[in-house]
Amino acid sequence: MQLTFSGQRALILGGSCDLGICLAKEMIQEALYPILTFRFKAGRERIEKALEPFPGRWEAVRFDFADAVSLNLLFAHLREDLDFLVDLAQGDLEGLVASVEEDEFRPYFLQNISSRAEMLKRAARVFLGKRSGRLIFISSAAAERASAGQGFYAAAKLASEALYRSLGLELGGRGITTLTLRPGYIDAGRGRRYLQSREKEALGRVPIRRALTEKEVARSVVFFLSDTARGFNATQIVMDGGLTAGK
Amino acid sequence: MGLLEKISGVLADILDVEASDIEAETYLIRDLNVESIDMLEIAVSLNAAFNIKVSENDIFLRNLRPYLIEAEDKGQAQAPCLVEKFPFLTPDRVQEILADLDSGPVLKVKDLAGFVAYQTR
Repeated sequence: MQLTFSGQRALILGGSCDLGICLAKEMIQEALYPILTFRFKAGRERIEKALEPFPGRWEAVRFDFADAVSLNLLFAHLREDLDFLVDLAQGDLEGLVASVEEDEFRPYFLQNISSRAEMLKRAARVFLGKRSGRLIFISSAAAERASAGQGFYAAAKLASEALYRSLGLELGGRGITTLTLRPGYIDAGRGRRYLQSREKEALGRVPIRRALTEKEVARSVVFFLSDTARGFNATQIVMDGGLTAGK
Repeated sequence: MGLLEKISGVLADILDVEASDIEAETYLIRDLNVESIDMLEIAVSLNAAFNIKVSENDIFLRNLRPYLIEAEDKGQAQAPCLVEKFPFLTPDRVQEILADLDSGPVLKVKDLAGFVAYQTR
C-alpha cells in the first residue's frame, strides 16, 4: 500500500524522546518534514545526533508547556505553515491521589491540560486557515486503566483526549481531524525503564507476551497521519497487544 | 478595495454565498445563518486579512445581552454601558441595536466593519 499525505510539515511535540526521534525518521522516509520540539539542550543534542544523516529534512525548536513565551516563539517559528501535529508531550507525576502535594499537581494540570488547550487553540487556527489539518495525540493505555499512583497522569491524559476529541468533532467539517492513540508498554523511554524493573510481571499480563517496539508505534502513527486513515476522527484507538481487553 | 468589500469577500468565501448579496445592513445570524464555527473561521480570516487581534466576544457582540442585564441590575442606562463595552459601535448604532433587540440577533456586517476600522485606526 502506497500512503499519500495531505501536506508535509509535521510538528512533533515532545520530539526528543525515543518515540519522537523514531517517528521523525519514519516521517522522513515518507518525504514528510518533521519539526521536533525539545525542552532542554540535552534534548536538542539527542535530536541532532540521531537525525544527522538527514540534513535539511527536519528542524528542531524549543517548546515547553511550562513556558508561555515558548508557545509564542514556536508559532512564530512555524509561520502559519503546518499540516500535521503529533503530540507526545507529557509530564510525569506519580503518586497517590491522597498524598501528592497541591503545589505539585496544580502546576502539573496547568501545564499538561491548560497549556495544551492553549497550544491546540493556536494550532487549530493555523489549520483552519489552510482548511486542512491532522492531529494525533499519543495518550496511554493507562489513561483508562490506571494503576495505583497514576491518577494524575491518567486524569491529564483523559482531559487532553477530550480536547482532541472535541476539536475533531467541531472542525471535522473544515478538514481538520483528530485521533488519540493509546499505546501500552513500549520498549522505549519511560516504558523501557519500567519494564527493566518489572518485565516478567508486566509482560505476563499482555496477551502478545511482549512490549511494543517504538518502530511499530511510529509506523502506526505515520499510517494514521495518511489520507487513508483520515476517517478515524474524534476517537481513540488502543494499541497495547491486548493488555486492557481482559482482567 | 474598500473595507466593507474586503469583509464581504471574507464572508462570501467562508459561507459560500455571493459577495454581491452581502451588504452593510445584512444580519449575520438572521440572514446568513452564521453558526459558531463560522464565527471562529471569520475571526481567523479577519485576523489574517487585517493583521489585527480579533476577540470573538467583542466582534460578535457575544455578551451584549448579559451586559444589558448587568446595566439594569446596577441601575445604569443601557446605551452608555454598551458604548463602553463595545467602543467600536457608534452611539447611533447602539440606539439602533437597542430598538432591534426583540427581533432576534442584532449583529450586522457593518458591526464587523466597525470593529476592524476601530482596531486598525
